[in-house]
Formats: sequence, C-alpha cells, structure tokens
Amino acid sequence: MSLRGHYKAASANVQAASFLVVRYGTRLCALPSDGVRGVLTKEEAGNGQTVAWVGVTYQNVDLAGLLSITLDTTSPDLRTVLFSNGHSHGAIRVDEVIGLVEVDREHCLPLPPHFQRVERTWVAGMIFYRDELALVLNPEWVLGELGEEVPREAGAKTIGAFTASVEIGKLC
Amino acid sequence: MLRAARQQEQAVAAKPSWSIVVFSIGGMKLAARTEDVGGVTPWGDRIPVPSRTPFVGSLVKRDKEVLPVYDLASQLDREAQGESMLCLVARHVDGPMAICIDADIPSLHTVDAAQIRPSRRQDIETVGSFTSDGEEIDIVALQRLGKTRHESLRQ
Repeated sequence: MSLRGHYKAASANVQAASFLVVRYGTRLCALPSDGVRGVLTKEEAGNGQTVAWVGVTYQNVDLAGLLSITLDTTSPDLRTVLFSNGHSHGAIRVDEVIGLVEVDREHCLPLPPHFQRVERTWVAGMIFYRDELALVLNPEWVLGELGEEVPREAGAKTIGAFTASVEIGKLC
Repeated sequence: MLRAARQQEQAVAAKPSWSIVVFSIGGMKLAARTEDVGGVTPWGDRIPVPSRTPFVGSLVKRDKEVLPVYDLASQLDREAQGESMLCLVARHVDGPMAICIDADIPSLHTVDAAQIRPSRRQDIETVGSFTSDGEEIDIVALQRLGKTRHESLRQ
C-alpha cells in the first residue's frame, strides 16, 4: 500500500494541486490524488473483474486501453490504483506507481488549443514531473462517465470545434 | 472557395519576392514561408495524447516548452525519412506546432513572386506553389494547418 515517494515539484503553496503519477512504459499520467483510495500489489488486487477493498467494489478500468497503449503485465512494479470520484469506483492497473506530487496550480499547463475535440474533456492538462511530462487525466473519463467516444474519422481533413472542455482550474 | 483562391492570388501578387524554406517529408519536397517557420531543431520523443483532432495526437517537449505535433506526414500519407529526423516549428495561428520532417537539412530560397502561382493541391492548405529544377513544390500554409478554408477565412 505504500507509495514510492512524495515529490514536491514546487515550494509549499496553498494553491497546490496534488496528483498520483503513474507510468505506462515511458508515458506518465497524473490522477488527481483526492480520488485515490489505495494502491494494491498484484497479489492484493487478484485477477478478477472487480476488486473489493474496505467494503467498496472497484470495477476494473482499462486505462491502458483508453490511452491506446499496452499494460506491461510482466512489470515487477505493476500496481492497481483504487480510484473513485464518489459515484464510480475503478481499479486501474498501471506498470508502476511513481508517487504523489504537489504542483503549484500555476505550473499546470492546459492542453494546447490545437487539440479541439472531445479529448479536451479527457485530458485536463499537463504537469512536469522531474522534467518529464505527465498528462493530467479527467477522473470522469477514466471512470467511464463521459459516455460514448466520438468515432475516429479516418483521414478527416476538417476540424470541428469541440466546445465542452474540462476547466484546468478544476483539477489543477 | 473563390474568395480563398482570390486571397491566395492577392498574396502571391503582393510581394516582389518570397523568402522560402524548402524541406521534405517522406522524400516529398515542400516549402513554407520563412516568416511561418519558428525554427528547425532535432526531433524529440513524441508524447502521445488520446485525441480525436485529425493529425493532432501528440506533444513534443523542447526544454520547458511543450509543443503540439501536427502529423503532416500522415496527412500526406507518408513517413518522415532518415535516422535523425528534424522538427520544424510552425508559427500556427493557435500557437507554435511541431512538424516532423526528413533528416535532410532544410534550405533557404528566394523565389520571384512571378514564379509563384496558386497551388492545385486540395489535400493540404497551401499559399501557392513554384517550380524548382523541374519539380513543382507546394508552399504549405503552416499558419493554417488543420484549419478548413472556411475556418481560415473567418479568422
């Protein structure tokens, strides 16, 4: 259940946002830490479709699939993050849990405006973690609360403005 | 469409000569106006971002700066070539964007405005084309990459 480390990316600040940074291969993702209910080892999490922990049932969430990457099931550091937003509860397998990080909100970067579609509701922004970039993921997307995905338009040449967006200030 | 073509012709006619950067993607020669190019640096590792915006699905880090990547190679149905590919920074209307180009060092050219004519290309936004060594080279509208003509005219 212990985390590797608690890294402060900036000096103590009441305006800090806190994230759990996880790794898939070389990619880092950041989950708002207030949704993290626990971190389990492979043995603790088991192999079922759900994880029951302290009276709550967490459904498996294929975050690697959402990110179009593959979970390294052979990783010795594989962990299951128990994550909840109060309504939905997800068990997210990751290659490694890097640690908790506190970031000054002013150091949270928004997703560049060139990203114009539904991804603006998936990715809340970006932070730097030890010089590496981590995508801050929207818990509602991670937990499957945003409904159906927009189908990919192969070879589409036009970009439609997608107006809904996650406010960076809400998560960062 | 007609308005866009007229604007392109007006742009072509407005300058006595054009300062152009010629680069290549997957062996295809392309050009851009020098004022639309923010620099050329070694290519870095892409950081994929789940995305539904066509041709915008990753980021690259340059020091403390993060640039969205425009996958012009995919739009052209090509792949950038060479062992040490380069990053061409486009001065896009929404902010700088990175484009992965071939390892061949881009070259600077001055092209007489009279040699520049409207491009026939429909798959990417262009500001014209010119012929060099018998090869027609399209001048990519880096500022408007990913924008439809309609969107470009509104801005």
